[in-house]
Amino acid sequence: MSRKIMILACALLVMLALVPLSVTAQTTATPKIKIGFVAGIVDPFYQVMELGINQAVADLGLTVVSQYPPAPWGPTSQTPILNAMIARGDLDYLIIAPTDKDQMVAPLQAAADAGIKVITVDTFLGDGDYIKGPVTFPLSYIGSDNAEGGRIAAEALAKALGEKGKVYVQNTTVGTSTTEQRGQGFKDGIAEYPNMQLVGMDYNLDDANTSAAQTAAVLQRAPDLGGIFGVNVFSATGASNAVINAGLGGQVQVVAFDATKDAIEKLRQGAISMVISQKPYDMGYLAVEFAMADHSGVSSLPRRVPTGYQVITAQNVDDPAVARFIYSVPGQ
Amino acid sequence: MTLESHAETAAKSGFAGRSPGVRRAILVLSRVWAWIFLVALILIFTMTTKIYQQVDFLTVRNSQNILVEIVPVLLMGLGQTFVIIAGGIDLSVGWVMGMASVVSATVIVALLPTGIGEGLSILFGFAAGLITAMIPGFINGVIIAKLKIPSFIVTLGMSFIARGIAYLISGGNVVIGMPLGVRNFGNESLIYLQGGNVYFLQRPDVTGIALRSLDRVFTYPVVVAAIVVGIAIFVLRKTRFGRHTYAIGGSAEAASRAGIRVDRHTIILYTLSGLTVGLAGVLHTARFNGGSPIAGDPLLLSSIAAVIIGGVSMFGGHGNIVGTVIGALIIALLTTGLVMLNVQPFWQYIVVGVVVILAVLIDQGRDLIIGRMKAE
Repeated sequence: MSRKIMILACALLVMLALVPLSVTAQTTATPKIKIGFVAGIVDPFYQVMELGINQAVADLGLTVVSQYPPAPWGPTSQTPILNAMIARGDLDYLIIAPTDKDQMVAPLQAAADAGIKVITVDTFLGDGDYIKGPVTFPLSYIGSDNAEGGRIAAEALAKALGEKGKVYVQNTTVGTSTTEQRGQGFKDGIAEYPNMQLVGMDYNLDDANTSAAQTAAVLQRAPDLGGIFGVNVFSATGASNAVINAGLGGQVQVVAFDATKDAIEKLRQGAISMVISQKPYDMGYLAVEFAMADHSGVSSLPRRVPTGYQVITAQNVDDPAVARFIYSVPGQ
Repeated sequence: MTLESHAETAAKSGFAGRSPGVRRAILVLSRVWAWIFLVALILIFTMTTKIYQQVDFLTVRNSQNILVEIVPVLLMGLGQTFVIIAGGIDLSVGWVMGMASVVSATVIVALLPTGIGEGLSILFGFAAGLITAMIPGFINGVIIAKLKIPSFIVTLGMSFIARGIAYLISGGNVVIGMPLGVRNFGNESLIYLQGGNVYFLQRPDVTGIALRSLDRVFTYPVVVAAIVVGIAIFVLRKTRFGRHTYAIGGSAEAASRAGIRVDRHTIILYTLSGLTVGLAGVLHTARFNGGSPIAGDPLLLSSIAAVIIGGVSMFGGHGNIVGTVIGALIIALLTTGLVMLNVQPFWQYIVVGVVVILAVLIDQGRDLIIGRMKAE
């Protein structure tokens, strides 16, 4: 028994002795950077983003370490993961979706202080303006402009309705910056059309059942409703359920935000008319390219990059150029 | 807590009717106030929606919308009513519902390609959802009864476990790929009304404007919930099981001395709670055409609120099923009514909060008066 332990200990010592050798060998051969990726939560959106990161890392011959915080969304779950990443001590760049624009400033400042350059994806720190805003240490903020997403939803809906009629918003929770911006962007977008009227915006707390009940009530108040914008998939699911059960399927257009597989299935079934997709894959790919460019001495990188949207409809959903924006991870 | 000490607490708070007339009035009120509140809400919403929004609140469609909406909260509340009457609480219901929703959807998706047919796949899927929901309930019951750990803690722990399992199975996504039968079960109905005609079971083949005026009366989830409510009322009122539930809530020790097998009864209670919650999860899958891990999480507090508004004492020993139905109806009426009025829906929470506290105050007042009457 004790001999076995001795052998094991010797083997361990040999391995430990080899580690510095292999590390130096690697760094001298390829002076490449190592990137850390911390997602916001376990979710297909970030999984697709990781696919983009992995592709860029492979294309550029870099290495990456990826970590997903457990639920629930928030700094309490994300900070321990982030601190573990900083503690590794071998990362040059960190690509992260901060789970809170204020609370995550200090933990990420610690990363910056440790010499890790930070790129935020999807979400941002401070007000997202890294030039004049309260937080300027991150290299760049690469992500969708949610207000723009809301405006695009408004435009797409206006076009489908002939630029007239009543519309309604199903929102999730008050104070969530992304969904609030989508709602506000949609409001602003609809205001551009003089013959369109927003009849209300309700909050369902991410509960499809509440969304359905609220939408059913609105359909009673405004039976001539033309369209509904659901700021996420649960909002749109509930809204479309109420629409179909009121016999208004196809007549009241439901627009969903985020191209989850669930949303796409409902699009194919006709329960949802349009899906506004973000581009997480592009966010991930671009973030890695930015890290490499910065490492190579490029100093003119933009501090804010909106990655844009794709409007998916039943007509274009099977087009490979469009289908690639669906949040689906191969093998899942 | 015994009835006496409960009443003493109320006495210290200064909530005491002095004259016999006031006492009798409070006693009567304590039994019917939830009904009065329900009727008052309907009247207020009927008038205000007509005046401010020029729409009718009391319509067939609206009544059905509200019935559909209360199904998950009500089913959660049914098991909870039994558990709370027996002096416990089940905090695991929210995530167990999500777990049941995800399990049923996953099993259906897995069985469809095996060629056993859509009907059997759905049947097995739903059965799997119900059975998996009973397992955490059973474990809750065993730990509470045999290891004497407070129900609050055990079921809180189980809530996290169920949440983890629901996320693990679903990968955090909504489980999709349901056959049409699932959606039909969740959304089609027993009776259809269209242009003055009544159709049973068979949906009339209408489209366009006619489809708009098609009313679904008693959708299948509502029918299922109604049957379960009927069974629950019968069991609680008419059976020995029901009487034992009250006895255990009054005093587990006294019940045990009277020969009631308290441990066995407790295990069955929590398993039943799992069953009704599982049913809520399966019906969520049917209605929204997919299994969602977060389906029940937002509903936990509403379901407990419904039980309390319905007059079930948190100290155990009294309450009934009809009260829980009314509690769930009051919450659903507020959602629908306030949205129809175009009032900020957040007012709903404030009103529900006030009603919950009011319900407990009335409950205490009744206990106090009964205690005094016994003393005199």
